[in-house]
Amino acid sequence: MEKDLDKVVDEIMATPNVSGCLVADHQGLCLAAKGTAHVDSAGIIVAISEQACKIQPNLKPPTVCLEADKKLCLIQRHGTITGAIYKQKTEMKF
Amino acid sequence: MVDDLRKYLNHLLEKVNGLHCILITDRDGVPVVRAVTERAPQLALRPNFISTFGMATDQASKLGLGRNKTIISMYSSYQVIQMNKLPLIITFIGSDNCNTGHILSLESQIEPFLKDLAAVVADAP
Repeated sequence: MEKDLDKVVDEIMATPNVSGCLVADHQGLCLAAKGTAHVDSAGIIVAISEQACKIQPNLKPPTVCLEADKKLCLIQRHGTITGAIYKQKTEMKF
Repeated sequence: MVDDLRKYLNHLLEKVNGLHCILITDRDGVPVVRAVTERAPQLALRPNFISTFGMATDQASKLGLGRNKTIISMYSSYQVIQMNKLPLIITFIGSDNCNTGHILSLESQIEPFLKDLAAVVADAP
């Protein structure tokens, strides 16, 4: 059933510097998680994207980038689905 | 200690959009600590509603999937998330479109407080 989603997640994971990937639905329930992304983060990731959407509700959902010393977490919402990609940092090239 | 915990639960209530109440009760549904907003349905706060979870979790544990930890009940306008922390039960009641995953992640934040509460409830006659 989730074969297509798994395929997309595998493709994302095959991208250089990507260490984890997570997909969640609008209720914050995890649909897929791979690598360093933890299933329990799904709710918080969706909550972050929801809050970010409130900044400019009339525009399409923004991409949120959480930056740490060595890692980045990119959060993007598309309709009811929210995706998060965990990346290793490399000279500010996303 | 209970006052501090109540304050903390109220703080968690504000953090999750659409979350109406957090109840920590014993296995009979008797409240130990509760943080409730005015939007919470009064019927769902009654012990006879909450204690039903005790039976449901016991039965769910017999399905051969291991011990049941959480039951999420979706209703037309509310969702009820109950966690098995026997002798305690944690009940979250939120709106139907509330972020279920976010509520589930609150478990790890409440867990450290449960040890002392569980000892108190276990000692009660």
